[in-house]
Amino acid sequence: MKLPYAVTVNDEKGTEELAIKFAKELQNGQVIILNGNLGSGKTFFIKKVMKHFGINYVNSPSFAIVNEYESKIKAYHFDFYRLMNMDELFDIGWQDYLNDADAVIFIEWGELINEALPKERLEIFITILEGTMRKFEFIKYE
Amino acid sequence: MIVLGIESSCDETSAAILSGNNILSNLISSQDFHADYGGVVPELSSRAHLQIIKPLVDKALKESNLNCADIDLITATAGPGLIGALLVGLTYAKGLAFSLNKPFIAVNHIEGHIFSGFLMEDKPEFPLLTLVVSGGHTLLLYVKSFMEIQQLGTTVDDATGEAFDKVSKMLSFGYPGGPKIQNASKIGDEDKIKFPVAVLKKPYNFSFSGLKTSVLRYIQKNFSNVNDIPEKEKNDIAASFQKAVVIALMQNTERALHNYDVKSISLVGGVAANAKLRNEITILSKKYGKKIIIPSLEFCGDNAAMIALRGKSLFESGRQDSLNAKPYPSLGENYFHTS
Repeated sequence: MKLPYAVTVNDEKGTEELAIKFAKELQNGQVIILNGNLGSGKTFFIKKVMKHFGINYVNSPSFAIVNEYESKIKAYHFDFYRLMNMDELFDIGWQDYLNDADAVIFIEWGELINEALPKERLEIFITILEGTMRKFEFIKYE
Repeated sequence: MIVLGIESSCDETSAAILSGNNILSNLISSQDFHADYGGVVPELSSRAHLQIIKPLVDKALKESNLNCADIDLITATAGPGLIGALLVGLTYAKGLAFSLNKPFIAVNHIEGHIFSGFLMEDKPEFPLLTLVVSGGHTLLLYVKSFMEIQQLGTTVDDATGEAFDKVSKMLSFGYPGGPKIQNASKIGDEDKIKFPVAVLKKPYNFSFSGLKTSVLRYIQKNFSNVNDIPEKEKNDIAASFQKAVVIALMQNTERALHNYDVKSISLVGGVAANAKLRNEITILSKKYGKKIIIPSLEFCGDNAAMIALRGKSLFESGRQDSLNAKPYPSLGENYFHTS
């Protein structure tokens, strides 16, 4: 996947194929931000990436703020949706998660606390098109 | 036996004292310690737990007319939840157990909810079918005894409470969504829009992500701007959405009633506060001639009384945990037996 990369998928199956392609290039220490409206499929994309690594219990961390998964890789799955400010994020140990070089970090609704995001990150923008169609854009920031 | 329970898995800090099956005290930070401490503390925070925990435990003991030395068993939530938050309650409890030289039990938060019906005067009877509905979880469980819990189904994406929160946000009602959707539903027409109920391969699993998306599509299709939705329409959407959620939950519950030998049904967790859900599951239980136990509102949300009670039943079954017990963030895939 040469970045920046943009692609349109027709349905969930297309998203799954894209997620597997993405998973194959995933590296420890990467921070991935997923941006997109409610129902755009942020959690679904992560679910399919993690499935590639044998983790089948991914669900939305909107309430829990962060889910942790460990098998072939270790992943922290954040959702900033419910957070009020950066203080709350730091107070639940944000630095510790961020400094774990052995883990991959996914963040849904990262734009809500933009100032907490590391400079080096990959952002995925998901746009809802007609029906089940979605546009995915991958952009690297360094 | 005097049992101290401590809960700090997410937003709430809670401390409770049980004497046998009697609840002497059950204090919850958001209700009992609203602005008692100085400074601005984020709502969701390990620091807030840290500041509140000792005064809360002290207050619970005082309310119960007891001293630390009177405690026979110390219990605390070890997971699932936020590690930073869990650490506070768990570490405090372990420290207390060590200093008082009392036995300690690390309790699973979901197990606390599962048996919360036993906090009521009228107790559930085994085998028990339990529906756990909260912000982070949605589970259907077949509970044969205090030690035999079988998971029939779980959500494959969003939890029930989360679906409420997100639809509430779409309708710009705000957070938390549960009470807001419920209030709007009271005046809305629940038959106005037919939102889909997910059909899944595994008959007891739940999915609310598709429902969330279809509410979003409905809004986008019919209104150019979220701020343009008339109040009446918002209420109708809320009511129709709530109905779809309740149907999904009740369908699987009814299916389980057909296939499992059940004496009583229990509805637990934060979303068990929803009036329509309480009402519909009560109707279902009557239809099948089963006893129904739904905890009072105080015991639906996160509370330490349920942790103390669960800790006590584990202790009585012979378990005792080491003071090395660690917090854990997730339930994982196979925490409960699935067959």
